[in-house]
Amino acid sequence: MVVSNLQQQRLVTEQLRREAAIKRMPVSLAVKDIIKYITEHEQDDCLLVGFSSQRVNPFREKTPFF
Amino acid sequence: MENDGKDCPVETIESLTKEAEALKKKLEDERQKLNDITLATVADRLDIINYMNIKPRRTLKGHQAKVLCSDWSPDKRHIVSSSQDGKMIIWDAFTTNKEHAVTMPTTWVMACAYAPSGNLVACGGLDNKVTVYPLSLDEDVSLKKKTVGTHTSYMSCCIFPNSDQQILTGSGDSTCALWDVESGQLLQNFHGHSADVMSIDLAPSETGNTFVSGSCDKMVLIWDMRSGQCVQSFEGHESDVNSVKFHPSGDAVATGSDDATCRLFDLRADKEVAIYNKESIIFGVNSVDFSVSGRLLFAGYNDYTVNVWDTLKCVRVCLLYGHENRVSCLQVSPDGTALSTGSWDYTLRVWA
Repeated sequence: MVVSNLQQQRLVTEQLRREAAIKRMPVSLAVKDIIKYITEHEQDDCLLVGFSSQRVNPFREKTPFF
Repeated sequence: MENDGKDCPVETIESLTKEAEALKKKLEDERQKLNDITLATVADRLDIINYMNIKPRRTLKGHQAKVLCSDWSPDKRHIVSSSQDGKMIIWDAFTTNKEHAVTMPTTWVMACAYAPSGNLVACGGLDNKVTVYPLSLDEDVSLKKKTVGTHTSYMSCCIFPNSDQQILTGSGDSTCALWDVESGQLLQNFHGHSADVMSIDLAPSETGNTFVSGSCDKMVLIWDMRSGQCVQSFEGHESDVNSVKFHPSGDAVATGSDDATCRLFDLRADKEVAIYNKESIIFGVNSVDFSVSGRLLFAGYNDYTVNVWDTLKCVRVCLLYGHENRVSCLQVSPDGTALSTGSWDYTLRVWA
């Protein structure tokens, strides 16, 4: 039992050692990149900017002619 | 094989616990040091979202109990859904027709997923299993079903990582597992959560060796699929994490929780960078997904609504009403033209 507790604590500590060793960047830089990605893709985002015309919406209402 | 004690001092529970405490504090300090600004502040200069014209376009009726999960086909037209009624249904979302209805040997089919080829679906739930069904129009799809993997508790989520040959599952047994579809062999096991895994998602990179998991232990973990190791962990949620989703940029993950909040965790800043909540929103979030640019975050709630958040300004831009019970699952179609939602009201809806 003691051995398995030691084993478990070793795993927890080793995990924390790995996580503490990773490189981090400032939030300001990280969010700048997210904003850049979004800005570059916004014009293709139909749920955000809509369709150029309802005709190109694959889920438009069926027209009464059919 | 000499064991010279000088290089490895004896580790005791006490020394390891002490070191763990010190590491936790160091981690927190490091993260705070780099916390130089908020996302909403940086996004302040951006235009607000004023055009929102998302409407209900289709209602898919056929399940006889709660819809629990759904997934778009890569063809952007079909949807697979699974339900508490023990059925998996393949829908043509354009026409609302049912193309297949498969009865599972269990109720509460909590997970279903399309393979990248579109020719295969996987599902499972309270049977603890993940079963794949090759899709063909000429015969009963259950004739060719194949059980790929078995957990020691219910299977809550599944996803094909980039090919039809492997499937990644999450389970109530608190682990995730990677299986070989052909042989049913367990390729990798992922231990790290201390409670039920509720949701998993793959990083959107071509190499695709990273995935995220969310759990009832309130934690969000990032995994390396090859090594099986947890590489990052995020805490912050105050209750079960029901849904996790990578931002299309691959640099962040969004989460939805029973604590009535959605959050955004940035992998490179290694911390939470946004929280999406309002005082008036008190019900849990079951499912989240991004629009293709990542500007919108859709979230399905227990109060029957879908809230649409501006990911950057951290404000709600719109509310989608329609379902008559909890919204249990939602997903943006692969080309980003539509949003599917599934509910405890037995229906699925398509919004565009």
